[in-house]
Amino acid sequence: MNNENIIEIKDLKKTYENGVIKALDGINLEIKKGESISIIGPSGSGKSTLLNMIGALDKADEGHITVAGMDLMQKEDLSKFRLNEIGFVFQLHNLIPNLTVLENVQTPLIETDIPDKKMEERALEILKSVNLTDKINQKPTKLSGGERQRVAIARALVNHPSIILADEPTGALDSKTSDIILELLLDIHKKENVTLIMVTHEHNVAARAHRSIYVLDGKIKEEKINSAS
Amino acid sequence: MKFRNLILKNIFRNKSRSILAVIGIAIGVAAVVGLGLITDDLTQSTESALTAGAADFSVINSTNSPSGSGGGGGFGNDQLINQAAVGQIQQVKGVSSAVGELRTSTNLGNSTSSNSSSSSGFGANFRSMTNIIGIDSSDLSMDDIAITNGTAFSNANQVIIGQDAAQRLNKTVGSTITISNKTFTVSGIYETGNFMDDRGIVMSLPALQNLTGNTGQVSLILVKASNGTDPTALASTIQQNYANDLSTSTSLSGNNRMNNGLQVISSGAWAVSLLAILIGGIIVIVTMMKAVSERTREIGVLRAIGWTQRRILGMIIGEALVLSLIAIVVGLLLAVGIVELISLTHLLRGINPSFSLLLILKGIGVALFLGIIGGIYPAYRASRLSPTEALRYE
Ligand SMILES: Nc1ncnc2c1ncn2[C@@H]1O[C@H](COP(=O)(O)OP(=O)(O)OP(=O)(O)O)[C@@H](O)[C@H]1O
Ligand SMILES: [Mg+2]
Repeated sequence: MNNENIIEIKDLKKTYENGVIKALDGINLEIKKGESISIIGPSGSGKSTLLNMIGALDKADEGHITVAGMDLMQKEDLSKFRLNEIGFVFQLHNLIPNLTVLENVQTPLIETDIPDKKMEERALEILKSVNLTDKINQKPTKLSGGERQRVAIARALVNHPSIILADEPTGALDSKTSDIILELLLDIHKKENVTLIMVTHEHNVAARAHRSIYVLDGKIKEEKINSAS
Repeated sequence: MKFRNLILKNIFRNKSRSILAVIGIAIGVAAVVGLGLITDDLTQSTESALTAGAADFSVINSTNSPSGSGGGGGFGNDQLINQAAVGQIQQVKGVSSAVGELRTSTNLGNSTSSNSSSSSGFGANFRSMTNIIGIDSSDLSMDDIAITNGTAFSNANQVIIGQDAAQRLNKTVGSTITISNKTFTVSGIYETGNFMDDRGIVMSLPALQNLTGNTGQVSLILVKASNGTDPTALASTIQQNYANDLSTSTSLSGNNRMNNGLQVISSGAWAVSLLAILIGGIIVIVTMMKAVSERTREIGVLRAIGWTQRRILGMIIGEALVLSLIAIVVGLLLAVGIVELISLTHLLRGINPSFSLLLILKGIGVALFLGIIGGIYPAYRASRLSPTEALRYE
């Protein structure tokens, strides 16, 4: 065990449909605290499954996975772990349509015992950092795709997680907006020293991370250190 | 943002569905409360029928009750009692008063009296038949008859009529009424609280004896026990003393009929209430299931950002409970509306709906029950959703 590793994965396996689909077929991966990782690979190769395992959204069948000091193979409720350590950003923003931007960002905090006033302050502060101060009382339906994704990022950050998991965060955006969102994620990663793991189809996006991991048929086929970062 | 604010906001998200769920719960509340108002009111009048003045039991000709059990009180093929027996019963120790009464029924529609003295009971033609009671005006209280309008009959040409009969026959004090070709004047309107007897006509005993040709005879003897005497024991003493001739019924035939009627109504009310609760429950479950399945992805997201299963469960049940609270108000209003409507149609004797605390609590109980039952299964399903599958949901 390396103390610097925030994530350690050994021979991780996950099947679906009674073993017919091998979504993960023996993953071995170590990620250091504060690192940025991009995961690439064809559709159905297991990228989202791997991300969901790290985020404790699902349980693996075999192997070992430790994230932020927590052994995720233990059978117990991991919602508190997700609340405290993980910030998820999805391809589609997945905001709650009847809540305002400010309220959406506060939703994770409902699980905490932070007082109302403090919750709002924290959400405002994060929304300021993603440049959305003027939209806090809007409903998500009134926002552009890029703005919605910024709200989703703010929601992922509101609990000060140690890892941000982004599953194709720019997948639904045009290239200009994609760049803005990508820069925002990298900026937060650097400033807050948050570990960033993002799944992407675009090689130029992947190249912005410290390390790119190429997944094929549930296995890591190739790893590459990116010189640019 | 508070959790409860989120729940409230979710209620207004899909208004038509929330309205549907509220209606579902309100149907259950309205049925239970509305029918409760009616049965409560009828029960109350039954209780007022059993006032202190009323007789404790009645004595009939023993051939009318072959089983000897004394219940029932029907006079199917009635044999009458010689009026002399009234005086004899009056002498029995423990009897406070014994009063002879003649009962018959007639179809006022074609003015022909049925001479068989058959009491209507729940006979086939019970709607068209009018009960006629012959009793001395000083003994009206034995039958729990209270004059509400006018005065009691003071001679053989006067009658008093029940408030329902007055309404049905369109008669009032001073009107004339022809029974078996003899014309009587209505001297008063009475009420017994017994909706069967309120359909009747009462005249003096000799007048009815004359009219039916049953001079010196009565259908039954109403007996009231003196203070300190157990009416049931007294009834069985009389039963033994006159084993061959008379038989006693421990509760008054009228009250028995009444209680039977009340039982039919209240079990009908129960059946309707249960059906309404069932329908309400199904509506709530279906609408809440829809609310959950529409939000599958969202529930996946909430789980991903750290919400516990308990929180998801609490959110859905909370939504169902808020809908229940709204439905309580809607349901109570609906109940009052229904009862008002029923009393307008004169389907039942004038109803004075009065909300008892118990009834309101029942309504609240039904609403909360439906809310929790309707919410718990969808909430359970929502909380058990696998986050990854919920996120993959299209
Ligand atoms: N909950 C599930 N039930 C059944 N099969 C699943 C489930 N989740 C993933 N799979 C299957 O596992 C495999 C890997 O899926 P995964 O979503 O990880 O792929 P991916 O690399 O993210 O693909 P994409 O680029 O299209 O998002 C696929 O064959 C997918 O159909
Ligand atoms: Mg994927």
